[in-house]
Amino acid sequence: MPERRRGLAGFVLNVWMSLFVLFLVAPLMVATLPAFDGSSGASAGGAKGFGLHAFSALFADDRLMTGLLHSGLVGLAVVVLSLPLGLAGALVLDRLAGRAAGLLFAALIVPILVPGIVVGLSTLIFWRELGVPGGLLLAVLAQTSAAAAYAMMLFLVRLESFDPELMEAALDLGASQSLAMRRVLLPHLGPTALAAAAVAFLLSVGDHDMTVSSIGSDWTLLTEIAARLRLDPTPAVDAIGVLFVAATLLVAGVWVALHHRTRPRPGGEADRTRHPTSRRGLTT
Amino acid sequence: MTEVGRTYGARIALGLWLIVGVWLIGLVLAPLATLAGRSLSTVEPAVMTQTLEIDRLQDEIAAMRWDWERSVDAERRADLDRRVRMLTDRALRLAAETREPPTVWGLANYARLGGLHARVLLHTLGFALVVTFVTFGACYPIAHGLAFATRPRRAALLAAALVVPYALNQILRTHAWAEILATLGLAAPSRGGPAEADPRAVLVAMVHASVLFMVLPIWSALASLDRRLIEAARDLGASPLRIHARIVLPHAGRGIAIGAAATFVLAAGSHAVPRIMTGGQGGDWFALLVWRRVFEAADWNVGAAYATTLFLACLLAVFALMRLFGVRFADLVRRGGRHA
Repeated sequence: MPERRRGLAGFVLNVWMSLFVLFLVAPLMVATLPAFDGSSGASAGGAKGFGLHAFSALFADDRLMTGLLHSGLVGLAVVVLSLPLGLAGALVLDRLAGRAAGLLFAALIVPILVPGIVVGLSTLIFWRELGVPGGLLLAVLAQTSAAAAYAMMLFLVRLESFDPELMEAALDLGASQSLAMRRVLLPHLGPTALAAAAVAFLLSVGDHDMTVSSIGSDWTLLTEIAARLRLDPTPAVDAIGVLFVAATLLVAGVWVALHHRTRPRPGGEADRTRHPTSRRGLTT
Repeated sequence: MTEVGRTYGARIALGLWLIVGVWLIGLVLAPLATLAGRSLSTVEPAVMTQTLEIDRLQDEIAAMRWDWERSVDAERRADLDRRVRMLTDRALRLAAETREPPTVWGLANYARLGGLHARVLLHTLGFALVVTFVTFGACYPIAHGLAFATRPRRAALLAAALVVPYALNQILRTHAWAEILATLGLAAPSRGGPAEADPRAVLVAMVHASVLFMVLPIWSALASLDRRLIEAARDLGASPLRIHARIVLPHAGRGIAIGAAATFVLAAGSHAVPRIMTGGQGGDWFALLVWRRVFEAADWNVGAAYATTLFLACLLAVFALMRLFGVRFADLVRRGGRHA
């Protein structure tokens, strides 16, 4: 079918894809503009021209800088907590079968099946009754419940390609169970741990709804930006937009570069081998 | 359970179960149970009036003490003393009665979900459904194009265009959309100026927010389709349309269910997107209503009831979609059926 898809249908699909790409990247292009032209309506003071002053305003802004620190700390804490949780969940679920496994799996991924505000709010209400007020700690816990679920799913996908007989072989050769786990199973999961850490960190830094409903009077970079954009847009916030887009494009460049290097072969099969869920037979 | 112990050894298995138990109870079940419990409890109104009465008595006592200090007449001072003692007694008695505020269990908080608020809930869920359909319509051809791409370079480019915008965080992305749509005259200007709620603006931003979650599962499902089935159908004389309806579309079902569920939940529960796109004025979104109940009206129990309603609605939609397309949770991470 793909080889013969020509003519009108192919043309329409091409046009649609072009429009779609334009739709996808449009916000990226716009987010950078206000910081430089200095003309966006409410950007304080009416300073015009190439607005590098926005960047100095950003670094002089205590709340934004503290927010950046908070975001980094919360992100690290979420990574540190969600990796062991996700790994333990995946190792257990991988060895369970039947109805119990389905139920446990469903229960553990509930935090990513419901709106962020519900997750944040339930965390806040629960811990407040135990005497823990809203703050960075509760934001960490709310985000961890979602990040751990994603980490677990990534580990489970990876475990699909693990041959259990390798563990048995190690045990037959006299390895203790913990040694076999350290030397055989965990190395196999290594690359996934890296991916899960990245997902957890990005989820934490980029999350708004869960964070804002559990963080009390504290703040992260994102909740601060959200509050400011609404009430008091300053050049500093515009500058943040530029930095975010720059970081985004950098990551994208690296991603595309890596992609080009690892693409196995041209043709329709490429998509299949590229997608993580179809990575099989890589156990050796 | 024994299988876990057999594979990893008893000690490690115990540790794993312990971690999973702490996770399941501490981060998922206990918070949700507390939310549900809170939603079912109300403080008896009588207690509220008693508290108010105590406040009023204390005000009165303070005023009398002030009078006492400024009075030189001994008789008047004695009179004030007597009245202060009397009022203090009454306040203490009331305080003793109300030290344990009786909690009433029931559906009173849910009963508040009538009239306008019920309309907002239905509007939100209906709107999320529209977002889901629009996103599916926009994304299905793209996922199809990715899965059957003949030119891998273009597929890589498209994949990059899909992923990259998500690195820009949700808040800045939504604000960028507000700017674009304001320029096009579609939405409220996000910076200054009067804001008007235009649901089409919310729709655009919500569709943009869910594209990745719709394309990836459908792409993944279609990529696993055995191409020989299509060849066989074509050799047997089926038209491209018929091949699509009978082979390709059904195979994409699992991906469609997952993508639609993700999109629906994102749209129904989004708090930031409607707030930004309507300049903070949007009243027609349920997540905003939950927010206002809890953080602005300080009405935690009713807020908990609304949050629980949203939670149940989303969970119900997810289960309904899964059932409709015959998808099980295990399919989220597995292709094979080891957990048959």
